[in-house]
Amino acid sequence: MNQIIQPKILKGTRDFLPEDMAKRNFVMEQIRKVFEKYGYDTIETPVIAYAETILGKYGDDGDRLTYSFEDSGGRRIALPYDLTVPFARLVAANWQDLPMPFKRYQIQRVWRAEKPQKGRLREFYQCDIDVIGTKSLIAEAEIARVVVDVFKELGFEDFKLKINSRRLMNAILESLGVLEDAPAVIRSIDKMDKIGEEGVREELEKKGFDSGKISRLFKVLAEKDFADYDTSEIYEFLQLCKDFKIDEEYLEFDPYLARGLDYYTGITYEVICDEAGLGSLCGGGRYDDLCGLFCKEDFSGVGVAFGFERIMIALEKMGKLKKIPLNSKVLVTVFDEESSGDALGIYTSLIEAGINSEVYFEPDKLSKQFKYANKKKISFVVVRGSQERAKNEVTIKIMETGRQKTIPENQLISYIKGYV
Amino acid sequence: MYKIAIQKKGRLTEQSLKYLRSIGIKVPKNGREMIARSDDLEILFLRQTDIPEFVEKGIVDFGIVGENAVAEKRYKVRVVEKLGFARCSLKIVVPRESSAKSVKDLNGERIATSFPNLLKDFLKKNKVNASIIEVKGSVEVTPAMGLTDAVCDLVQTGKTLEENNLVPLVTVLESQAVLISNPNSKWPF
Repeated sequence: MNQIIQPKILKGTRDFLPEDMAKRNFVMEQIRKVFEKYGYDTIETPVIAYAETILGKYGDDGDRLTYSFEDSGGRRIALPYDLTVPFARLVAANWQDLPMPFKRYQIQRVWRAEKPQKGRLREFYQCDIDVIGTKSLIAEAEIARVVVDVFKELGFEDFKLKINSRRLMNAILESLGVLEDAPAVIRSIDKMDKIGEEGVREELEKKGFDSGKISRLFKVLAEKDFADYDTSEIYEFLQLCKDFKIDEEYLEFDPYLARGLDYYTGITYEVICDEAGLGSLCGGGRYDDLCGLFCKEDFSGVGVAFGFERIMIALEKMGKLKKIPLNSKVLVTVFDEESSGDALGIYTSLIEAGINSEVYFEPDKLSKQFKYANKKKISFVVVRGSQERAKNEVTIKIMETGRQKTIPENQLISYIKGYV
Repeated sequence: MYKIAIQKKGRLTEQSLKYLRSIGIKVPKNGREMIARSDDLEILFLRQTDIPEFVEKGIVDFGIVGENAVAEKRYKVRVVEKLGFARCSLKIVVPRESSAKSVKDLNGERIATSFPNLLKDFLKKNKVNASIIEVKGSVEVTPAMGLTDAVCDLVQTGKTLEENNLVPLVTVLESQAVLISNPNSKWPF
């Protein structure tokens, strides 16, 4: 006898059973619908990529966390760490064939060679939208509107889209004479929520920053005293948000918002929901020249990534995914061998009427067939014995209440469709 | 110049005109024309079902309709005033011989109506899971045809019920004529 292989999976990866998938697809579909409403088309990029197209784009940490290996042909291969870099590569390779500006959404898996722990996975989904090939702030405001729309559509109530301007942040750092160290400073400020002002101060001092300058920086941010700096970008952006009719209650200007990645150059965004208590659910911003790594052309873009897995956890926690049905709504039972043709007739009429349904495969005991329906969360079970057949009737068991209803056969479809 | 829409021909028409007269509007004799002008007012005679939509879209400034018509289609209009006439109730009624004694007994049954949204909300609120059969008109005859087990329809005097051997089970909504306006209209009410 063959040795049995343990049916195990890698830590930080998951199997999804039908009930999980029903919920995931439901949420993904809602997100997708919003993206499409605003005219975003989708693309797909390969899972396996030349390592040099992925590595070296996210800093040392990013490289360490990128899955890479040599294939049997001796090529260095890497798995995508996010969707932004593969998108930039795709644009660089295909920009002549793409409409410009180019709006795309992309929902795909990405991989991180993390040490798995709660909320930290090795394989997960991201949902991105980007507009590339325009410097217009209208693109920023449109993305803000899409983000707010997605969270409202998903049933979030108590969320904030925090926004900041990397330009403003750079201007402040420049006035303090530390512009060349902006990435390091910004990465520290990014941790303000986690480690507090004292923690950030300690970290910056360790990095060798003058404590007087740190105090001045904190003062400017805390007092929102930006009189000396150019805030036109923020004001113009907020005006456009108004023109886009984005409800003000969802927007919050947060000068501390940093977003760790180095490549942002303008407006940055992040979505926080206290109700979910999971940190950032979505983030992004304006970047310049992301494709510059792959081509000579210069494309400015703006985009956000939605943390799909965190959104799922948040929705689950908020109880929004309790009533997601599985696919079949009706089970047609088979009474005995000789009536299977009759059952198939009813079944096909349901299918042709556009009602998701299925027929049981064997004339098993009815109790077994009902059990099957229960396990698949089917709402209606159609039973038809010889009596019903003789009178051209069908009996429908409504699984939720256990009630049975006998009606003329020709009313079956309108009866099922009448439940909304 | 502002515009007000009232029902062209039906149970609200006479009393709508009476109401307009009572607030000092010179109403011409209701002839065959669709539009009547008086001073700075235009009265439009329309189908009752179109009125809330036209008000919502701002095509007319005001309208007089039954509350039920506004509620069923979930129009976003402002109710300026309840007018106290054309009172009726949206009720669920069942055949006299039905075993249903309360709304809970409607689980799994077929209910005919021209007000599917109002009925759906009502059933949901009462945690009743039933099949809603949408019918355009003559709803009250569907039980006798063997099509349905109950009916959800407007009841005024109860005469139609009696004629069709139906008895009331529960009230879904009380309705009367209302003056509605567009929420974004320039008028202060």
